[in-house]
Amino acid sequence: MLERKSELLAYSSDGLPGYTKVPNLAVFPGTRDEVIAVVRELARENVPFVPRGAGTGLSGGALADGVVLLCLNRLRRILRVDSVNQLAVVEPGVVNTVLTREVSAYGLHYAPDPSSQAACTIGGNVAENAGGPHCLKYGVTLNHVVAVNAVLPDGTVTTFGNDSGENAGYDLVGTFVGSEGCFGVALDVTVKLQRNPQAVRTLLADFMSIDAAARAVSAIIARGILPAALEMMDAPTIRAVEASIYAAGYPADAEAVLLIELDGFEAGLDDDVATVVTLCTDAGARSVRVARDEAERGRLWQGRKKAFGAMGRVSPHLVVQDAVVPRTKLPAILEEIHGIATRHRVRVCNVFHAGDGNLHPNIPYDAYDPDESSRVHIAMREIMQACIAAGGSITGEHGVGMDKLAYMDQLFTPDTLSAMCQLRDVFDPLRRANPGKVVPIHSCREWGGVVRHA
Amino acid sequence: MLSAPAIAERLREASAARQRLRIVGAGTWLDAGRPVDAVQTLSLSEHHGIVEYVPGDLTLTARAGTRLSDITAATAANGQWLPLAPWGGDDGTLGATVSTATAGPHAAALGQPRDVVLGLEFVTGDGHVVRAGGRVVKNVAGFDLTRLLVGSWGTLGVITEVSVRLRALPEQTRTVGVAVDTSHATLNELAGTLRALPFVPLAAELLDTTASVQLGIGDRALLLVKLGGNEKSVKGQLEALSVLGDRKDVEPSVWETLRSMEPAAAAVWRWSRLPSVFGETWNAADRATRQLKGGALMHGNPARGVVRVLAATNAGVSAAELTRAAIELQAIGRGTVAIERLPRDAWPLLEPTIAQDALSRALRDKYDPARVLNTGILGGDT
Repeated sequence: MLERKSELLAYSSDGLPGYTKVPNLAVFPGTRDEVIAVVRELARENVPFVPRGAGTGLSGGALADGVVLLCLNRLRRILRVDSVNQLAVVEPGVVNTVLTREVSAYGLHYAPDPSSQAACTIGGNVAENAGGPHCLKYGVTLNHVVAVNAVLPDGTVTTFGNDSGENAGYDLVGTFVGSEGCFGVALDVTVKLQRNPQAVRTLLADFMSIDAAARAVSAIIARGILPAALEMMDAPTIRAVEASIYAAGYPADAEAVLLIELDGFEAGLDDDVATVVTLCTDAGARSVRVARDEAERGRLWQGRKKAFGAMGRVSPHLVVQDAVVPRTKLPAILEEIHGIATRHRVRVCNVFHAGDGNLHPNIPYDAYDPDESSRVHIAMREIMQACIAAGGSITGEHGVGMDKLAYMDQLFTPDTLSAMCQLRDVFDPLRRANPGKVVPIHSCREWGGVVRHA
Repeated sequence: MLSAPAIAERLREASAARQRLRIVGAGTWLDAGRPVDAVQTLSLSEHHGIVEYVPGDLTLTARAGTRLSDITAATAANGQWLPLAPWGGDDGTLGATVSTATAGPHAAALGQPRDVVLGLEFVTGDGHVVRAGGRVVKNVAGFDLTRLLVGSWGTLGVITEVSVRLRALPEQTRTVGVAVDTSHATLNELAGTLRALPFVPLAAELLDTTASVQLGIGDRALLLVKLGGNEKSVKGQLEALSVLGDRKDVEPSVWETLRSMEPAAAAVWRWSRLPSVFGETWNAADRATRQLKGGALMHGNPARGVVRVLAATNAGVSAAELTRAAIELQAIGRGTVAIERLPRDAWPLLEPTIAQDALSRALRDKYDPARVLNTGILGGDT
């Protein structure tokens, strides 16, 4: 348990820059029973709390403003691996890549692979319904969780779902996944494990315009080929990566590259590769190269996964944005984003899951420069509004947290937001779990100021 | 033509008058038999039509009353399909398929309804129009009302519109049958072999002798496998399947026949346990239903561990007999028994109830406080 302000400062932010919220207390239970005991004590005293995994979230979901921070990262045991049925039962603090490493001996892996996977926890992934590059083919966290054992904010311990992944009754597992810590605290999670593909081909296509790359993405999706991953990086990202220790050998003068992975059954895979190469070339690719071995493949991926880190060289702070548009709208939205960036004199680095239409327009900036900060915020708002206008969403995998609260009533009607408040109230009538996040309080039709802060 | 606001108005009136409604799609499953306590029917069948279909996005939005066959036709024109293909056939509506979360033979490869639905519009019992999720393929904005509504049997809201993810039709498909010995051990091994294949078959469904005979494809238990992909891939998949034994080609139309072979009057159970005990599940289900007069037929998905039993009920099978079989099924062990259909007189004997826990009841109180939506469909007073 941490109480001293100086110690608590270490827990005053997550992956979202520009916000500092100091909790009153940080608690680090080491066992499932301790988590339950803490939650029950908090319920008895009517104290609000914020669950936290590794604190890598990018929407400010783990920020705790004067409340209790409940840190789950000590619960890191893998309780059971059932390689026959391809299931694992894990505690919430298990790190994403640790699970994959532990089951690799069986030829299995855990499919959702957010860029923070070397640090982020399964509990956090469940809270945010985390995605990642390979979710294009294999699905997001929701599609991989079959059961959750949880303690509700009032201290009740309950199980949602079961090993078979078949439910009679309401889909409470699906409802719990992505609830951003507002519905309770996962004590253990049963996830599906994916068989490692028999064959993998990783391609790098380089383009002299973003538009050409975006059109290649649309062409691949429209053709019906489902790559395991289909990622885009633009020129500022490529240069940042190539200047860093994560240099991946991307062509430094390209305006955009696509990192495309096809995997699965060996037979016929190269025919799909050939089709993708043709589609890229037709869209104007200067070259398409296929990684020759595992080392080259690893290097191409490292550049992508560490792109955010590489941007750290560019400036002290980085907004990692997250939005979604229909995939046919990619060329138009990228052009619009470019226009917004130019207008507000900010640098946008696009590195994103193009195959899903899941954009990550990132802006490196100096948060201590008030003028630049204000221009960054205006540009971000305009980008979000452009994505909403294009029929998209304000977040594809990072969650609403604090960061996207202001956009919720632009995306959803008052009746829809009210229905979300009602859902929260079923799990947490006193709204003590992660208070003030996800749905703006003023949207709650029946809100009567029930939250009492201790 | 119905509209969401008109349905909302209707539900506000019903709630005020505490007038209970039975929510209906095309009406193909009305004899699902659950004794719904309703004074009137609210049919969505007139609320149909595709609202938006962008082939390049592989997404489609349609009104709830749209028949699956209409979606199949529209998407096939662009080399695409909606891979729900639920048991019961394509005469049903999109709304009913999603409301009941009915899966089909492609669920193991391509997902259940919860994995395919991107967003939906629904009207709560007290008449609020809610638009959950969206039309894009990845979206975590706000709490997941979409997953809440999928499989809620119309008890939390009347689904009026659904957005789904489509797939490209495979370049080639091939359907083959492999004769299978159905002893415990062999079937458990089969489930393992299927899961260990270096590809996921589009479908792999085990048929018992009765089903094989009815489909006219053999006189013993058969594993029916559907493969898809480009030419070389399908050829390679066929070769890899040789580990299962001799195979023969089967007409691809067999899948549609299998999906719609449910007798007009039937009892249908679905039993789900882990794939590693699929052999026990299959044989226990066989024992429990073998003595039903008029016979039952079974099919199951070894890779998902699911067995589905269909018993015709127009052949003098009494409610008591069905009840005995169902109780025997439930008693065998861990797993989920979902009762899809029963004759009306058998429900009270079994009193199957789902969603009776405190959270589920609280959900019902929030979204349908006057209990006007499909009351009784989940059993008890829900």
